[in-house]
Order: sequence, then C-alpha cells, then structure tokens
Amino acid sequence: MSAEYYFFMLINGLSQGMLLFIVASGLSLVFGVLRVINFAHGSIYMIGAFVAYSLSTLLTGTSLASFLLLLLVVPPAIALLGFVLEVSLFRRVYREEHLLQLLLTYALVLILDNVVRMIWGGDPRNVARPEILAGSVDLMGMALPTYNVFILLVGPVIALGLWLLLYRTRAGNVIRAAVSYPDILGALGVNVSWVMTATFMLGCWLAGLGGVLVAALANVDLSIGMEKIIECFAVVVIGGLGSVGGALLGSLIIGVGITFFQLPFGRWALVFPYFVMALVLIIRPWGLFGRPER
Amino acid sequence: MKRNNLAVLIVVFCLILAGGMINSGEVAASETIRLGFVADISGVGATFYKGQKAAVDLFIEEANAAGGVLGKKLEVIVRDAQLKPDIGANMARELILSEKCDFLIGPTSSAVALAATKVAQEFKKIIYFHTSNTEALTTTDFQPYMFQVVPNTGQEGRGAALFMSQRPYKRYAYIGPDYAYGHDQFKAFKGELGKLKADAELQEIVWVKLGETNFSPYIPILMSKNPEAIFSSFWGGQLSSFVKQAKPYGVFNKAALYSLFDLDMLRVTGQDMPEGLLGYSRCPFYAIDNPEMKAFVKKYYDKNKEWPADWAAMAYDGLIALTDAIKKANSTDSDQVVKALEGLKFKSLRGERYIRPEDHMANVGIYVGVTAKNPDFKDFLVLKDVVEVPAEKILLSVEEVKKLQAEKK
Repeated sequence: MSAEYYFFMLINGLSQGMLLFIVASGLSLVFGVLRVINFAHGSIYMIGAFVAYSLSTLLTGTSLASFLLLLLVVPPAIALLGFVLEVSLFRRVYREEHLLQLLLTYALVLILDNVVRMIWGGDPRNVARPEILAGSVDLMGMALPTYNVFILLVGPVIALGLWLLLYRTRAGNVIRAAVSYPDILGALGVNVSWVMTATFMLGCWLAGLGGVLVAALANVDLSIGMEKIIECFAVVVIGGLGSVGGALLGSLIIGVGITFFQLPFGRWALVFPYFVMALVLIIRPWGLFGRPER
Repeated sequence: MKRNNLAVLIVVFCLILAGGMINSGEVAASETIRLGFVADISGVGATFYKGQKAAVDLFIEEANAAGGVLGKKLEVIVRDAQLKPDIGANMARELILSEKCDFLIGPTSSAVALAATKVAQEFKKIIYFHTSNTEALTTTDFQPYMFQVVPNTGQEGRGAALFMSQRPYKRYAYIGPDYAYGHDQFKAFKGELGKLKADAELQEIVWVKLGETNFSPYIPILMSKNPEAIFSSFWGGQLSSFVKQAKPYGVFNKAALYSLFDLDMLRVTGQDMPEGLLGYSRCPFYAIDNPEMKAFVKKYYDKNKEWPADWAAMAYDGLIALTDAIKKANSTDSDQVVKALEGLKFKSLRGERYIRPEDHMANVGIYVGVTAKNPDFKDFLVLKDVVEVPAEKILLSVEEVKKLQAEKK
C-alpha cells in the first residue's frame, strides 16, 4: 500500500477524532470545574442528534443554510436543557461523594434514554447532508467525503475557540480559577455556583454540537449515547480528566488509531482505545495532560 | 356467620376457577386453532414485526371468513421475545402451557429462533420460521417439529457467490456485522466462491460491530486493495447507513456492491439509494408474477395502505403451508401434521413449493437484481431485472444436511 493511502487514512482518522473531541471536551470541561463524572453526557449528545433530526424534518430542502441553522439552534437548545439539569439536579451533589454522583448521572442516563425512546421511538434516523457537503473531494486519487473534511475543519475551530475562551478572556480566568481555587474565588465575590452552571451549559452545548454533526454523518438510534460516552471516557482517561488539550490529543489518538490498527489487526482494532487507556493508567494514571489529584 | 361467609367465598372461588378451566379447555379442544406468535416486537425488530403481524392477521381473517381450517377458527396470540433468546424461550413456553397454543410462529432473530425451536421440540409443537434464517435450524439444530419458509443464511451466502462469480470480477471484498448471521453468510460465500471461481481473490474482510452506524473508520480499509466487487451482510438500518456513507467515499464508482435490499430497507433509504447496485431480496412482491401474489398484495395494500415487506409475504406463506398440512392430516395433532408437512407441495405466494422431508426446508430461492427507480413506487427504489436463483442451486445437498444433522447427535 502506498504512502498516499496512509495519508488518506490519517486525514480520515483525524476527522473521526475531531468529532470525538467535540463531545469529549464537554465531558472533560464539566469534570474539571464541577468534579462530577457526567455519565449522562452521551445521552445529552444523543438528544442533540434527535432534536437535530426533528428540526431538519421541519426545514425544507438540503441547503447549507438550513444545516447551519441546525448548528446554530440545536446546541444552545441542548445547553438550555443543561441549565435545567444543573440547577435542578447536579447542583445538589457537588459536595457528595463520587459514588452518589455516579448514581445520579447513571439514573439520568436511564431516564433520558427512555424519554428519547418515548418521543422518537427505536427506528434509526438521519439528517440529510447539505448538497454542498454531500459529495467528495479528491485526495490524491481517493475520494474523501466533503462532510468529513467539514468536520475536520469544525474541530480545530472549536478547539481554538475553547482555548481563547479559557485563556484569553475573563470568563475563562474565572472558570480556571474555579477549577483550582473555588473557595478563594468565592471569597473574591464571584458567584461560583453560576460559574458552574455556565460551565455545565457549555459542556452540553458541545454535546449538542456533536449530536448535530453525527446526525448528518451516520444513522442515529438509541444506542449512540452509550457508545459515545464509553469512547469519551477512554479519551478523558488518556488525555487527563479536566484537560481540554488532553481531550484533543486523546481524541485524535483514538480516531486515527482505530482506523490504522484495523490494517494489521482487523476486528481486534476495537480493543485499541481500551488498550491505550490501560497503558496510560499504568504509566501515567492522571492522564497525559492531567495533573495528579492533590 | 363469619365462618359461613368464608365457606361461601371458597365455594364461589372454586366455581370460578373450575369455570375458567372448563372454558379454556373448551376453547383449546374444539372451537379454535390457536397460533402462538413468538415475535420480536421491540427494538430494531419493530419494523419487521409490523409486516409479519399484518400478514398473519390478513391470513386469519381470510381463513376464518372461508369457514376456518377443519371447521375451526384460527386465532393468534402474540408475545414479545425482545430479540433475547432466554425471553423467547420463556414466551414460547408460556404460549404453549398457559395460552394452550397448538402451533407456533417464529421470531425475527435467529438467536431467538434457536431457543424457540428447542422449546417446540420439548413440547412437540410445530413452529415455523419465516424471517429468522440461520441454516443451523435445519442442520445442526434440526428437530422435526419445525419448518422454514425463508431462504437461509447458507443459501444467501452461496447465492451471493453464484451471482457474483458469473460476472467478470476477480478481486472481492467482504464487509458484514460481527455476529452469527454475518459469519454464517460469509462462510457459505467464501466456500462457494472458491469452488465456482478458482482465480477469485478474497482480498479484504472487514467485520463491524453489530449496531455500529458510523462506517468512516471501516470504508477506507474495505477499499484499500481496490476490490471490484463487495459482498455485504448488513441488513436494515445498518445497511441503509452503510450505503449512504459509502457513496461519498466513491465506493460505488469503483466496485459493485451486493447486499440484501429488502422492501423495508429500500423504504427507509428512500431516494438516498443509489441506482445500479446489485442486490437480492428474500421475497420481493413486485418481482413475483403470479395470481396468488397479486391477490395477496391487493388485499394487503387495501387493508394496510402499505406494500407488503418480504417478511410479511413469507409469514403468510408459512401459514399456507401449515394450514395445508393440517387439512392434509385432517388433524391438529403435531405428529400427524409433521408427517403431512414432509414433502408437502403447497401453492405459496412465490409459486408452487415443497417442503424437503430431510430438513423441513421449503425450496425457496432468492431474488437477485439491480436497484432502479420504478414509476410505481415514488418514494423509494426497488430491484429491476429480477431473476430468481432457484433453491436447488444453492441449498445444501441432502447428504450434506444429513451429515451436519448427525454431527450434533
């Protein structure tokens, strides 16, 4: 096989990794600030995908404008759902032990999944790609779907946006301070609890964005939430819980790895994310970009 | 006084119980023939079930309007196996023991079918399979109280090899779901392709987790050695998702794809279905030209305002064979009906068919063709230039079947 083919696989894998990053960064961010492992993050992502589907059936045509409208409208709607969940449920368990938090978020998975089942049923759904993204581009003689290129571009934009937000704005300073010194931040007169709500909403916004993107990539059904959350856990363990940069690196490792490892290992490539996860846990238990727990 | 009340209560209770028993005994013994449907209603089985149930209801309606079978009315009782073998076995048991069913109708999932066939054997109640199609039901897991009216996984794999080997392809690739159904088909396909075309090269084999809908990591691997023809064992929603994603990867410009394009899958995919793909169907009503099928389609459409899926037509065919056998045996006794079933010739919707005595497999073929638009169906594509690959060309020989049946024992 030629070098061109490997390059093609690399680009294709990076595009997979970017989609994973968008969802996983939300999970990581929420953990970093709230110290809650949100099991329901995958379900929230799934709701984003189904809401995108419902909205797309109301819009006519497959123009780029209507797809951009989905990207613009659905993630904030999911962030709003996040607001409700944070204020009514998550806020109450921040000071509890991890086991209780896990019970809450796992219960939420069961509830949200059944709500989705009741509203949308078990049939697979999908959102038509806008015509301009439905074709393919020529990459050294091989056809790469334009939509994968689109995801490949959205990913870095989100990563850059998150970095600017966290490191170049006051809001970002406050969020980072809330991670490291929540008590002092409170003493300085910042309403820490609203910082947490806002961060949770940002995490849900990212999950919703991932949901819209995947709805036009593949069929969505009731199983996608659970599948994604497992991949996301692998990502944040590899990258380090709470680190957005780590989520980016972890996502790209998994996205590229799953594709590449199929060449020599075939179906066993599915084991790859867990293998890397175990390796990281042995060598650097706090993740590549994480910090050891104090 | 209190004591008396209690005694009265007990007597009344006993009377109710006894009455119930007399009642149910009566129903089971004389008035009706009860069909227990071990169905996969929830989850991905929902779409399949809809067609199956509509066809069973239609058959019962017609049969009862014509005076029933042996003067008895037909009746169906449904239980949900939820695609789970253990639940399926329990439901089959419940249908036989509590609901006093005389015959069973099989599920969608092959795994459930393998569990249900054991229960059928245990209680000597006949079960027929119309959608679940693992070849094991008629070979290694064969038991006499069953028959199958759907082309099985072995036939599908060998049919794929037969159809594709006749075309000028040399380089083949395979992609399919990583569970029994995919592996069964692949095994049959690989074996037959080797026999039919010595210079055929099976280059790449890609297994995908069942239920996975994102194929981006898999398609470049599938295409890595530039195959000329691809056989896929995907079905339903997973196949629909695969076809949509394969298109922008340029798969269809480079290779011919061959897969199961049943009516439900074609309906779900709609206009996203590319034209000119090779494929097969188990029982495509639109390509089968005989008066029985025409009459069935008309009645089915009038009643449900929908075309009958493959599963619907096959579930209906099974009831034709079953009721013919009951009439021939002039009894609902399982052993006598089994005797009548072996070698039974019946007028199916697919034409005259018979049930092979050795493995109780109906000689049903598969229907191959090419996807195309059709003015009769506005919302979806169907197969055109459909040719039936007769069962005899792709069934295991009687010797092979007997060998496999003996292996288990």
